[in-house]
Amino acid sequence: MALRKREEWQHFVREVDWTFKYVDDEAVFPEWHCGTGKVPREAWQKWEEDYKVSYPEYVATQREKESSVYAVKAALQRSSAFETLDEGWKSSTKMHFGGVALVEYAAVLGELKMARFGLNGAWRNMATFGQLDELRHAQITTFFGHELIGRDPQYDWTQKTFHTNDWVPISLRNLFDGMMIAPNVVDLAIELPFTFETGFTNLQFVALSADALSSGDVNFANMISSIQTDEARHSQQGGPTLEILVEHDPVRAQWIIDKSFWGSARAFAALTGPAMDYYTPLEHRKQSYREFMEEWIIDQFIRTIEDYGLKKPWFWDEFMRGLDTWHHALHMGLWYWRPTLWWRPKAAVSKDEREWLAEKYPNWEKVYGDKWDVLIDNINANNVEATLPETLPWLCSMCHLPCCNATQSRDGVWRVRDWPLSYDGRTYHFCTNACRQIWWKDRDNVNHETVIDRFLAGQIQPMDVGGILNYMGLSPEVMGDDPDYAAWTKDYTGRVAVGLASTGGES
Amino acid sequence: MTVELGIEDQAPQLVPLNAIFATDFVQILVPVTTANTMREVAAAVAHHVEGKRVRALPFEKVVFHNGKRLPPEMTVAEAGIAPLDHVRVEYDRSEATS
Repeated sequence: MALRKREEWQHFVREVDWTFKYVDDEAVFPEWHCGTGKVPREAWQKWEEDYKVSYPEYVATQREKESSVYAVKAALQRSSAFETLDEGWKSSTKMHFGGVALVEYAAVLGELKMARFGLNGAWRNMATFGQLDELRHAQITTFFGHELIGRDPQYDWTQKTFHTNDWVPISLRNLFDGMMIAPNVVDLAIELPFTFETGFTNLQFVALSADALSSGDVNFANMISSIQTDEARHSQQGGPTLEILVEHDPVRAQWIIDKSFWGSARAFAALTGPAMDYYTPLEHRKQSYREFMEEWIIDQFIRTIEDYGLKKPWFWDEFMRGLDTWHHALHMGLWYWRPTLWWRPKAAVSKDEREWLAEKYPNWEKVYGDKWDVLIDNINANNVEATLPETLPWLCSMCHLPCCNATQSRDGVWRVRDWPLSYDGRTYHFCTNACRQIWWKDRDNVNHETVIDRFLAGQIQPMDVGGILNYMGLSPEVMGDDPDYAAWTKDYTGRVAVGLASTGGES
Repeated sequence: MTVELGIEDQAPQLVPLNAIFATDFVQILVPVTTANTMREVAAAVAHHVEGKRVRALPFEKVVFHNGKRLPPEMTVAEAGIAPLDHVRVEYDRSEATS
């Protein structure tokens, strides 16, 4: 018997809603999980995904993808490719494995919530595939990272990171709990599949894949490309949800996009920014982080939301200015507080690298060069101690990243300014105006304490650097250090250096 | 009969500050006490940055709080600086031109 055409059977498998006779609709789809809000319940009947897939098709495609990824992995298992990778690139992968593996698992929970509470049968169907996707991503990322533990114990943080109180995963937990665990499914579909997966994962999975290939890490490139093919499918839960929400409640739609875009942009500045502009060896860099953001995120994302009748987020100018500063300052912070990391951040500010940075970011020398020069002179004066932290950076109460965003003053000097807020008897500090504004509007949803809050509340004992590192779960064999100080300081040896700290060695 | 104690009679209290030193790239946590003078606060903030990330300059260091420059002998309590407040420490370059 000939198979029926897709259009003859598709509606049977995707339109599976019916009218309940024995329970109220509210009992099956409670508002606190479903979040229909101002959207009439029947409006969700129009929900329709662009690319339709059946379960047998899904299984066949996924099987093929899995076979292909593991075949490459098996072929490379006995090669010495890993040993030849640059330490900077290895750091990018350690950061990725630790930062992403369990976020993929959190995404399983988010997809499952949509698979249960999504307001249309087709949506629930798509989310069922989505949770299978995310489970595959959690498994594949954990498995690929786990294999490298024998070669370098820092890879153990692939599975460990999210179980620690290190400040980086606290920041990520804060972002992704807000995006995947806390929201109702309407907000979730716009925050995760629409803003994060459509808007941002391209950057990590497509652009970073190009850097991976160029750096010789075929296995990693293969893994993240395979993951990205799933994202492209399940991220389409966002569009139809947004379309319906915009029609009935455009103000809410705009707010959900604005806040999740901002949170995603802050996290990517901290992780992808340094990986692209510093950790990837100079000769292997395809584009700067700013160029990647402009090409892969900004043009495409703005075009997309304008197509839905929405506007650029209110913080757009602040965000665009930040493309020249956020990730450079965060890189300096990651480097200075390097014992708190599970990778080896390389400073990557040799003369050649600085020339590249200054070409891509014309203000780089003015804003960051002076600080790196003092750090370089300290290293060359055998005063590494002066380049190690004795206190905590102040962490933003919204994004949990260091408050380190310089803007130009009227006198031309670049300074980090304070964005404080007094509320309920205490003072909060934020890294940017937009973080402050989002926190204020969303304050009842912000549940994580920053490491500064925990430290001042006495949760970290003893109250010193050793106590902090222990609280974060960092043991001496894992904590980060620069992999090669000479690589970026040797260009400057022998120059006259004044105004250095007098601790440690000669100065 | 009870006597109200003045600020100067009370035991020093810990005052954790959000601080930034001159053109440094990041705000930092710096604990001081209510009894510390502004000169001591400036030194405590500078300890983490001066000569480490910002090149040391041969000028006095001054504390700004809520946009106001505070005298070097004034204490944290007298200045009304509260826990979690922000302070900025700058070099007093006016000395160089005077």
